[in-house]
Amino acid sequence: MSDLPAAAADPGREILARVAAGDAEAFAGLVELYQHRLLRLCERLLGDPEEARDAAQEVFLKAFRKAGEFRPQGQVYTWLYRIATNHCLNLLRRRRLVRFTRLGEPDEEDAAPALDPPDEAPDPETALAARRRWQATRRAIERLPANQRAVLVLVRFEGLSYRQTAEVLGVTEGAVESRLFRAMRRLEAAAQEGGVSQVSPGERTR
Amino acid sequence: MNHRLEMDLMRLLHGELPETRARELRARMEGDVALAAAYRRLEAAWRGLDLPPAAPPTLGFAGRVMAEVRESARDPLAGSLGWTLAPAWARAAAAAALVAGLAAGVGLGGVWSGGGLEATDLQSTSSEEAELAEVTEGSLADSYWATLEETEEPGVPEPAASEVQP
Repeated sequence: MSDLPAAAADPGREILARVAAGDAEAFAGLVELYQHRLLRLCERLLGDPEEARDAAQEVFLKAFRKAGEFRPQGQVYTWLYRIATNHCLNLLRRRRLVRFTRLGEPDEEDAAPALDPPDEAPDPETALAARRRWQATRRAIERLPANQRAVLVLVRFEGLSYRQTAEVLGVTEGAVESRLFRAMRRLEAAAQEGGVSQVSPGERTR
Repeated sequence: MNHRLEMDLMRLLHGELPETRARELRARMEGDVALAAAYRRLEAAWRGLDLPPAAPPTLGFAGRVMAEVRESARDPLAGSLGWTLAPAWARAAAAAALVAGLAAGVGLGGVWSGGGLEATDLQSTSSEEAELAEVTEGSLADSYWATLEETEEPGVPEPAASEVQP
């Protein structure tokens, strides 16, 4: 499930209030709180860690400049995720070709450090299986239209509920369900073609 | 299988189905092999999605962000996002100037076509839209148009047209 702070305990609100009042240095606290999550979101939307870092940096700068527009009754994570998602989707739309997978020979992909499984992987076979799942997932996600990709990433990998996802994207829950349903149909079709087809161990329940 | 049932299977998988309906659906799957198989396929496709853990923030990421923040605090229009965060009226004015410049260029191209100057690529295009599209392939014009889209974030209100960014 999502690891986002509850509304009442969200320290980001106070930080944004201070920033809006002119305390630019206070923004460092927001970066500290959300850098990991925003980097993760950008990476999963864009598919490239380096681009994700650039995007996340720009997202934080946008957030700093818009700190005065944050509505105190809202959720900080919703607001940040919305800026990040829109920024990344705009990047994707502006590109003619979405570079989501690392194209190349299997040997090259195996050698890419970003594709290595975590150190907890007990043996090479498990590591190889994990790497293949990641590559299949990336290929499947790459084929999705931007709006379906966004809901899939937010629900599946960020653990947001339909309601939270709707808030981030500024759409209705019905729109989230509809986009997710279409994404799922495509993923099922891809799985039947021999892509993503097995349950991985230690999978999150969402 | 009807669409509502398919949607309910998805909601069940994501824990979004009200408990009463979830119980009904689970009970129905126990007696309906095809329904249960459909749910298992959906579940397999969903749970089979896997991505590597995100790379942690690199050393210095926070520092770079704050460096840009400090620069922005000193000069709000500085840096790569200067244009993207300019007021909407400023971006619209820049875009209008671009169109006007193009139109003037087309007009001049037409005036001079019979003279000593060579026909330009602009002159050879058939419409102003095509010319504008050609220019928007370039990074400079692209940023003008793209920023209009980029800052239209749902739920995050744009500054009013009369509002001047600090």
